[in-house]
Amino acid sequence: MNTSDDFVLFDSLKSIRINGEFTGSIVSKYKNKVIFSDNIKISDSEGIMISEGLITGFEKVGMELNPISRKVDLKWDLNDTLLEYCVIIPEDTMEQYDQGQFSNELPYTINLLHTATLLLNNHESKLNHLDFFKGEILKNPIAMIRNGIIIADRVVIDDNGDPVFYDCLIVGRDENEDINISYEPITNVDDKMLEYIIILGIEELKI
Amino acid sequence: MLLFENKEQKLLNLLNFTGSPFKKFVSTGEIEEDIGLVQSREEFLHSIISILDKNENVILPIIGDVGTGKTHLYWALKHELYYYNIVFISLENVVKKFYYNIYSEFIENMGIDILRNISRRLCNNWGALERKFGFFHVAEINKVKKVACEEWAPKFENEESIMDIINAITAHQLDPYKKIEVERWFLGEVIDIRDLSRLNLKNDLRKRDNAYTMLKVLVENAMVNSVLFIDDFEKIVSMMKPIPIEEQKEEVFDKSWLYGSSESPQKRSANKILDKIVKLNNINGLRIIITLKSFDFYEEIIRKFEDIDSNLLKLIKKPIILSNFDDDDVFTFYKKNLEFFFGHLNYFDYFRDFSQSYFPLNKEVLKNIFIQTKGNPREIIKFLIKIFNDIIFSNEELEEILKKYQ
Repeated sequence: MNTSDDFVLFDSLKSIRINGEFTGSIVSKYKNKVIFSDNIKISDSEGIMISEGLITGFEKVGMELNPISRKVDLKWDLNDTLLEYCVIIPEDTMEQYDQGQFSNELPYTINLLHTATLLLNNHESKLNHLDFFKGEILKNPIAMIRNGIIIADRVVIDDNGDPVFYDCLIVGRDENEDINISYEPITNVDDKMLEYIIILGIEELKI
Repeated sequence: MLLFENKEQKLLNLLNFTGSPFKKFVSTGEIEEDIGLVQSREEFLHSIISILDKNENVILPIIGDVGTGKTHLYWALKHELYYYNIVFISLENVVKKFYYNIYSEFIENMGIDILRNISRRLCNNWGALERKFGFFHVAEINKVKKVACEEWAPKFENEESIMDIINAITAHQLDPYKKIEVERWFLGEVIDIRDLSRLNLKNDLRKRDNAYTMLKVLVENAMVNSVLFIDDFEKIVSMMKPIPIEEQKEEVFDKSWLYGSSESPQKRSANKILDKIVKLNNINGLRIIITLKSFDFYEEIIRKFEDIDSNLLKLIKKPIILSNFDDDDVFTFYKKNLEFFFGHLNYFDYFRDFSQSYFPLNKEVLKNIFIQTKGNPREIIKFLIKIFNDIIFSNEELEEILKKYQ
């Protein structure tokens, strides 16, 4: 098992910060959004910088919360407490994740062209499309649960209307508030536990 | 309580029940041989392995008289070199659709999983599995194909074939809707024109150039070394020789109308096969072992290769001669066979009660077999079959039977 020293690059809660330039598969949690990037630079002088990352989450437009996935360059001061953590996924875990995607090809997977909400359990607004997609396989779901993030290759809605994630990377905090990373081939989650599920649009990934 | 047990009679009774331990005197590439080589051939085997290990492309001739165990050697090599892909072909079976048949043999030997890994690895090298934003595979098939074409164009001669193969590999990895059909194409199945067109392919692997190119891709990217064991290679020489008039059959259809009178259809076919075998040397990492019945055939083959391309002679190694058994080998061979036979029957008492004995035969009979057969393994087996059939089916006493063969 990986120790948190191996993969946590920044953790505002535990005051962890490793200076340097890192490349690989990096997940950052910023407010209620998730940022995916292949690079990050952390230094005392310049703070934390991500170039050409993909930010995903919800954005308020008027009274509505809209799902977004957008290519961004980001920079934070080291004192910015809104950036919760940045972790780099170990390469062996990424290899497992890659194999899960390609070893088990399912030809009837739905790829959404543009990023859309599958579920939103927010005190401000609620949205639930799980029943509509019951029995379907949706590609590239990102889920925010109370204590973590699920990045999965596909999600299927089971007979109970709960999402079942396949080929998942899970990043979250344990009971000691330490960050952990794990790979799970299948994960069942009760929809009440979820804050949101966003389906990333394939066209927006290509940008 | 059992006070006395006649172990010898028990063994004879068992043989009456099970039949002879010696049944097969001809080895084939299809039926696996489990019994290893005799002592005197161990060194011989290691000299072959050393040549294969040291050379990436090589043609290694093995010369051995009829029945000396050339085909059996294939099985010994296969067991010893388990970390190689060793594929057996008999020229008789692959005269038509030469590359297609060899490719099929390789696939049967290696299994589809290796092919899937190759396809995945190649696509990965061409940038198909690049992770956008560190996580997401957003494969652009056309971009991947372009990289593949740039990389492979200088390496392969036939543009049409290489395009088919690149299309197949990229579709296999990046287009889940076509994956299953492409896998059928990889396995060499006959694909109808409509399916081919849907897959954006021009031909299936029955087309010679496609089969050859696919074979090259398979061997060069398999991550394990490959050996092609071509048995009875002298068939090429015999096909090239004109048939003597007395052996010629009267035929209504004169083949010279179709093929011309300068060479027979057999000779044409033999020349074609030889050209194809020579082309196999362009596949990096493919080692070829050929078996021949005599030194004369070897010299003739060398002349043929020289006529085609004198550079080929550099690839052809000094022939290794497979000789008959030594006198000690008969005893080892006999014991190995009986131990394997009784071991297979779970009759482990044999190892305890007869470990030092040659029962039901004896040393004199085995020596006599060696003298009579001059150590030729096939003749030895034939002799043993005869004696054991006598022991099992005749009403005579064992001593009387053995006397006949001493």
